[in-house]
Amino acid sequence: MKRAAHLLAAGFGAVVWTSAAVAADLPSFNHVTVTVVGDAGQNMEALNKYADDFTKAGITIKQVGATFTGLYDKLKTSFVAGSSDYDMVIFYPSYIGDFAGNGYLAPLDEYMKKQPAAIWDPKMDEVMPPYREIYCKWEGKTYALPYDGDVLVLYYRKDLFNNPDEKAAFQKKYGRELAPPATWKEWLQVAEFFTRKAGDTLAGQKLSRPFYGAAEYGARGFSYGWFLSRFASSDGIYFDENMNPEINTDAAVAGLQNMVDTLKFSPPDVLSYGYEELKNAFLNGDLAMVVQWSDVGKKTADPQLSKIVGKAGFAVVPGTEANGKVVHKAPMPVGRVLAVSAKSKNKEAAYWVAKYLSLDKSPITVAANWSGQDPYRLSHFTDTSHYKFPDEASVKEYVAAVEENLKNGFPDLNIPGAAQYIDALDVAVIKALSGEADPKTALDGVAEDWKGITQRLGADTQKKFWNAALESYRAAGLLK
Amino acid sequence: MSKRSLIEIARWIALLGVLVVLLFPLFWIIASSLKARGEFFTRPPVWIPSHPEWSNYPDSLQRGGMKGLTDSFTIAFCSMAVSIVLGAPAAYAIARFQVGKKNLAFWILSIRMFPPIATILPLFVIFRFAGLVDSYAGLVLCYTVFNLPFAIWILKGFIEDLPKEIEEAAKVDGATRFQIFRNIALPLTAPGLVVVALFTFIFAWNDFAYAVIFSGSNVTPLPVVIAQFAGGHEILWGQISAAAIMAILPALILATFLQKYLTRGLTMGAVK
Amino acid sequence: MDRTKHRDRTFARFMVGPAVTLLFLVTIGPLLFSLAVSFTNLQFSTPQPMRWVGIDNYSTLLFNDSRFLSAMGRTLVFVLAGVVIQTLLGFFIASLLLKVQRYRAFLLGPILIPSVISSVVAAWQGRMIFNASYGPLNDVLAHIGIKGPAWLALPQTALVSVFLTDTWQWTPFLALIILAALQSQPLELLEAARLDGARGWSMFRRITLPLILPVAGVGVLLRGVDLFKTFDLVYILTQGGPGNSSETLTFLTYLQGFKFFNPSYASAMSFIQLIVITIVAKSYLGLMNKRGAI
Repeated sequence: MKRAAHLLAAGFGAVVWTSAAVAADLPSFNHVTVTVVGDAGQNMEALNKYADDFTKAGITIKQVGATFTGLYDKLKTSFVAGSSDYDMVIFYPSYIGDFAGNGYLAPLDEYMKKQPAAIWDPKMDEVMPPYREIYCKWEGKTYALPYDGDVLVLYYRKDLFNNPDEKAAFQKKYGRELAPPATWKEWLQVAEFFTRKAGDTLAGQKLSRPFYGAAEYGARGFSYGWFLSRFASSDGIYFDENMNPEINTDAAVAGLQNMVDTLKFSPPDVLSYGYEELKNAFLNGDLAMVVQWSDVGKKTADPQLSKIVGKAGFAVVPGTEANGKVVHKAPMPVGRVLAVSAKSKNKEAAYWVAKYLSLDKSPITVAANWSGQDPYRLSHFTDTSHYKFPDEASVKEYVAAVEENLKNGFPDLNIPGAAQYIDALDVAVIKALSGEADPKTALDGVAEDWKGITQRLGADTQKKFWNAALESYRAAGLLK
Repeated sequence: MSKRSLIEIARWIALLGVLVVLLFPLFWIIASSLKARGEFFTRPPVWIPSHPEWSNYPDSLQRGGMKGLTDSFTIAFCSMAVSIVLGAPAAYAIARFQVGKKNLAFWILSIRMFPPIATILPLFVIFRFAGLVDSYAGLVLCYTVFNLPFAIWILKGFIEDLPKEIEEAAKVDGATRFQIFRNIALPLTAPGLVVVALFTFIFAWNDFAYAVIFSGSNVTPLPVVIAQFAGGHEILWGQISAAAIMAILPALILATFLQKYLTRGLTMGAVK
Repeated sequence: MDRTKHRDRTFARFMVGPAVTLLFLVTIGPLLFSLAVSFTNLQFSTPQPMRWVGIDNYSTLLFNDSRFLSAMGRTLVFVLAGVVIQTLLGFFIASLLLKVQRYRAFLLGPILIPSVISSVVAAWQGRMIFNASYGPLNDVLAHIGIKGPAWLALPQTALVSVFLTDTWQWTPFLALIILAALQSQPLELLEAARLDGARGWSMFRRITLPLILPVAGVGVLLRGVDLFKTFDLVYILTQGGPGNSSETLTFLTYLQGFKFFNPSYASAMSFIQLIVITIVAKSYLGLMNKRGAI
């Protein structure tokens, strides 16, 4: 009966599959309009670039742009309102629990199995496990397809790190060789070493403006991700199995302190740095090192955007040393997935658009400079022909760094209510950075806030969600 | 030089200073709307762009600005019309017949004092059930709620200033109450209607709080479009500035050509 | 006669009917609804059933929610500072304009522009002007030897930037009101006071102030209420940050309602605000009344 209803629904959506009529990899819909919502700008650019293909498939795309920080509000508002305006939604996967858990998204398993596979199969087994398990699934079902594999990467100025004068000076001062920092302790030393005033000399050149060792994401929104890179590498995890916050452990406080200390070697307005400012500071050649999302690597190689073409090195995000072993963790804030709204009247077409972006066109998208998308499939790492770097070695280095960081990936909190938990953490991190509170007080405050949020949302259900999330972290191999 | 003319000079210098401070941001946004991409990130900043980049204007129109303009216009115009159609009779009744005594008038005024956020939330839940989220009707309704009290309050003041004699004469001639309102009182309140029309339009045109929450794929007023130009990866300053210039045009026209109505509208009739 | 009166009343009701009905439906209706919701735990984060929680939301807010309480304090300071500083500046501009007879109308237009443009535009301007590295403000300051702060990035200056933007936008409005009040000062009174030997401050306090209060009082009240409602500027300029150093009450309510999707909690918040606004406005009006101002 249910099956019949689905068939009926499919018929209603006016899908006609005529294998002979069109090229083998495009379906043929009968003038369906698919409304897509996402964060406006380069993350929706793919819809324009491949518009012809959608037209050929009989689909008209209608785009609705939200702002980067306003995307969640926009989507959630529409979901809560129960409207069926949006067919395909692009969102940050930390909201998968919220959206799937509240029944706003259509499960995709059924569409993924459709035949012919060349049209419908999104090849999920080829997706890197963290993205597949944590980004796309909720309580065992697939609700989303990956679109943007975000992981933080350490970028540094290869030219400066290899400069003989600088190397000698560093050796003299710190008694070890100058190299990309392996630990957060080393990060501070390197940052201190490279911070220079205007008029000082850097790699033999007299500086016309100040040069800084490093910078952090200081603006509201994603500052917490830069804290997580410290927190997670000291074996931190958001909660214990009973949902008691573990965000204010001594190691966590030390991690936040490290981030606060970095500001001494950062530009004075670093607290207003969001993605764009942080990226520009590095691409303008004002920073020796920066931790940033994986797409920045591609941008360092674009002469239109970058003054440091060919000078950027890519490495693993620094780690924390414990018992003689260094643990590295690279947070995975943001990222993007594609999902189909449960209320959509054109689910099948919406699913296919998602699948086409997530699989067929993805090698081009993730390698391009016009997009904000980053690699998430095995093939994006093995077939590097689309990347535009000045030399083959840079491509290899870039892809290897992203892959290595992903192995150490640390997921965003993705249970229902994530927006509230994360906001509380983000505010506290910034308070510590701005000196309004010391790291310990700030993080103790987060633990209190988190307890309150859990209480408000229902302790039992939250605990259940959290344990399911832990399960998915394990399935992705990110947690033992 | 006499003490008097020194004071005179000091006064003009002070006024000039005030003008510079008040108009500088406008200059900056006009200059910014003509800057090329790279000119937003230079130190020191570019004050006057070397080659005006006019393309920011068509570009911002094409990226949703056009829809923003037409949506904003539609909504502002409808809200203005509804506010006048409902507000004028109400104002007349309150002014001439003291309906509801002082309480009604004050209740109406107090609606304007509400923090919008106190009503946005329940309105949202109600709109959700009524299917008014992301619709023109929904936003028109929201704006009418804060425009209507304004319209009633201003028109009430204008009507109270009208001499009663003409209306009474018409009454003796056998005109009905509604005829008196429509044929005599309303035409005489024309300046009041102008004030109300201008300001209700501008209020709706300028709003952001309601727009950002109640808009969506169907309706995207200009202020919301401007906000969308600030993407996660790039803030399109040129396009934002160009759209902002278009967004302040109605207000500029108001301040330049209809200055004599400005005072009364801005002060909600407190200054005549 | 009675019949005419009766007819008058019917007619009047017919005339106000539609407007009052609409206002009632879209304000009182939602308000009652919101009041009811504020006594529940309604939230949209998890699929949990709604239940009544009595005054829990209110007691949490008033006794346990330091973020809310500090936003309340911050907002009250913001309103008070805004009203005082903008009124003083407005008075300054008005008294300059008062002495300029010939070009006054010509000057008034440009001066009033900020008050009629959208606050969204004002906010975007602010973001450019206050930008620490690329903005004109710090550039100008650098020329006179001052190292400008990172306006929007420091907890000490973020709210100040919001405040400056608001002041830029609304001082002209207050100037306009005060100018009108000053113009309505009867000259005989001023002359009489001068003959009595009143000068400077005492002249201002005894004559000018009582005369401008009734008109300016309304303007100040409107301004106070609008300052209390400040949302657009915070949303675009700082998003409440850094930390929550520029979180105003309305912005926090917005966060609770439309970012965290806790309508119950947000409703309780807006009711507390409504009560505070009413108390402050009432006591202000009472004060004005006592001075015979309104």
